[in-house]
Amino acid sequence: MRAYLVRRLLQLAPVVLLILAINFTLIQLAPGDPVLILAGDSGNETYYAEMRAKYGLDRPAYEQFARYVLNILRGDFGYSFRYGQPVFAVILERVPATLLLMLTAQTIAIIVGIGLGMIAGSRPSGNLGLFIRTGAALGYALPVFWIGQLSILFFAYQLGWFPVYGMESLRAGYTGIARVFDIAHHLALPALTLAVVEIGLLVRLTDATLRDLSGEDFARTARAKGLRETIVVRRHILRNALLPVVTAIGGQLGALLTGAVLVEIVFAWPGLGRLLYDAMLARDYPLLMAMFLVSAFGVVIGNLITDLLYTRIDPRVRFEAR
Amino acid sequence: MKTQSRLILLVGIAALVAACQSPAPAPTAAPTPAATFAPTATSAPTQPPTATKPSTTAAPTAVTSKQGGTFVIVAGTDPGHLNPAISTSGALHFSAGSLYNGLVALDKDFKPQPELADSWMITDDGKTYTFKLHPGVKWHDGKPFTSADVKFTFENLLLKFHARTQTGVAPVLDKIETPDDLTVVFRFKTPYAPLLQQLNVIEAPILPKHVYQVGGEPQNHPANLKPIGTGPFKFVEYKKGQQVVLERNREYFKSGLPYFDKLIFSIIPDTATALIAFERGEVDYVSVPGSDVERISKLPGVIVERSPAGSGGSFCVQTIIPNHQRAPLDKLPVRQALNLAIDRQRMVQQVLFNQGRAARGPMATTAWYFDSTLPTFEYNAAKANQLLDSAGLAKGADGFRFKLTAVFPNTVAKMAEVLKENFAQIGVNVELKIVDFNEANQTVFIKRGFDLGYASYCNGPDPEIGVRRAYDSTNIKAVLFSNGAAYKNPMVDELFARGVAETNRVQRVAIYAELQKILVNDLPYFWLYESEGAYAHRNTINDVRPWTSSLAEYAWSSK
Repeated sequence: MRAYLVRRLLQLAPVVLLILAINFTLIQLAPGDPVLILAGDSGNETYYAEMRAKYGLDRPAYEQFARYVLNILRGDFGYSFRYGQPVFAVILERVPATLLLMLTAQTIAIIVGIGLGMIAGSRPSGNLGLFIRTGAALGYALPVFWIGQLSILFFAYQLGWFPVYGMESLRAGYTGIARVFDIAHHLALPALTLAVVEIGLLVRLTDATLRDLSGEDFARTARAKGLRETIVVRRHILRNALLPVVTAIGGQLGALLTGAVLVEIVFAWPGLGRLLYDAMLARDYPLLMAMFLVSAFGVVIGNLITDLLYTRIDPRVRFEAR
Repeated sequence: MKTQSRLILLVGIAALVAACQSPAPAPTAAPTPAATFAPTATSAPTQPPTATKPSTTAAPTAVTSKQGGTFVIVAGTDPGHLNPAISTSGALHFSAGSLYNGLVALDKDFKPQPELADSWMITDDGKTYTFKLHPGVKWHDGKPFTSADVKFTFENLLLKFHARTQTGVAPVLDKIETPDDLTVVFRFKTPYAPLLQQLNVIEAPILPKHVYQVGGEPQNHPANLKPIGTGPFKFVEYKKGQQVVLERNREYFKSGLPYFDKLIFSIIPDTATALIAFERGEVDYVSVPGSDVERISKLPGVIVERSPAGSGGSFCVQTIIPNHQRAPLDKLPVRQALNLAIDRQRMVQQVLFNQGRAARGPMATTAWYFDSTLPTFEYNAAKANQLLDSAGLAKGADGFRFKLTAVFPNTVAKMAEVLKENFAQIGVNVELKIVDFNEANQTVFIKRGFDLGYASYCNGPDPEIGVRRAYDSTNIKAVLFSNGAAYKNPMVDELFARGVAETNRVQRVAIYAELQKILVNDLPYFWLYESEGAYAHRNTINDVRPWTSSLAEYAWSSK
């Protein structure tokens, strides 16, 4: 197990280098020029040249890349063009908001998605099952920003149950426990919105897997033993059904981050998603590179955790060092 | 209520679809010479500063009834940092403008008014400007403001990093002298008329020497995130992507001002969300897109103010750039025909939702240097077709005479569709390439791979700032918002040169009138329309001055 872990972590190094190289190339190929953004509406050739020299953008691409990798090895990820701060300071400042949003959405999605999937899966025919399946298909298909807009209109504007935007009430300036409740109040709509897509996916997957497995021999055996259907589902079928579901959850991490970009824009949530969006518009290369790296790292680690979870769920799965 | 919400919804969806397909322009690159707003006569505040009261320094008894309250303002874009001397970003100046002052302020007619400088003297040859500074001004950290700060800010920050001041002032400035703590002398190599228009808080904010002379390079200086100014509001906190919070400067040198205790710039990137937050009362002040002006102005207790400027620039003329280096756009009859084919009224209605007006020439109709004797542009497709026929550009089998590649930013996608239809009517096939703002500018101005380009040429408070750059033949270069058409006319070059050296305003206006007549005949560009910015606030908020970029200096709440 430990050997496996070490091996997986070692494998990360080439993956990270590859990610860096690909992202660097993409950024080089993409149209646009950060110096023009720094210049704003004005500036002249002298200004452009000075800025290019200052940020090393006047060097050949391979040299820029080599320098960048060397600097990273020294722990220096560079300064953001736009914020004038070390990129990791900029990123770290935004991590809590996005983590809060993503973890909450993930938790909601797991509980609601698997729960509804179980209900639907144990009712292959019947209206409730049909209703849940239809809802799930819709939730998975609708664009997340549109769901966000709708929920703002309905729950915040018409009903007034939730604040329209942001993470905290600006005027009130709450502290302590009141602040926690205030943030939770602001969190509800964006987290639900972000969860909807994944709920749709998990419902469909749990439902389909459950129905698939309920015809298997081990399920029939369990029923033949005279166990109640709920026990059969919970103890025997669900455990087997979880494997693909956990895989899907792990694989959704990247999608969740993409969704977070849109949700954060709609709800003015001050997280990483919006930082990424702003960084792209500003062609803030150092910030973009670091953010791509962080998100790639997050997805890779997410997959590793998923793999490790397999052993927990299914004792037949074991990792051995070869 | 239902239709209303449906409307918001549709607008929201549209905005988001647009936002997802191709990102909105980076605010840092707004083609604007000045993040100011020219007020209309109707929305102009009438109240002069109440500068007669004794200083309020540590004297809470001087508090007027106007004082107090929190003013929440929607900012569409994260400022990034708060150093306005090293950036021309409209988003940055929107909040940072309240922290600093310029040597002069510009009033609603863009006339210079005393600010950090009480008075000034210009020598007859227009080469030397002497400013007397306001005594007793203090930085937010208590240190005194002196002429050394002015000299330092210009030499170390503005002339190096403020792209507009660097381009405009640096080439003609000889030196800055500080004979004493309260006197600053600017000496120019040649007569320079526009200086006073370039010294407000947007063009030339003054920063503290004692802070910036140590502690690192200006771009990465820690004070950019913990700014110290002389302005009406002091810095409290900046949470990136969330908010900028400022508080009243109790020792502000304009005594009695400001009135609000707290100013919060709340960052909401999505316009639809911002408008709903405004309707729900979560924010007090918001910029309203043309499509929503009618609905928002009907809300009870809400005032929508208009100004003849797009968001982030003053006196902006939205302009099509024909590339004169490519045939057949180098021919005057062709440009005349294309100009005749443009239905400006339809653009104003369908693109601007009537929040603006058709352009009448290179200079904005609301600017002080506009020549009001100019005729309006005619829309006449038949005449255009005739012109092209007699120019020998016959229609081919496909019904088209020739093809033009148009590279436009996604912000004007709607205008692009109308233009494509307009030109199709006269047998000109427009191939649209709609890309993001940065890429469009790069393709047009730097790489020059286009037939038709687009720019919002914001004229600014002085034609020298925002007009000359697009017409002067010495400015045909790989630089943003330069002479993108590659238009050459020695007569035009000469008139601009005379204009900048002419210190008599009446004679200057005459020079620019002559220029406008020549340009309207030559049609180096197609000037489409001038957009009008709209801002909504509750009727309990008074005297907001968005065109100054220190928009809440005089604002107060009557609630």
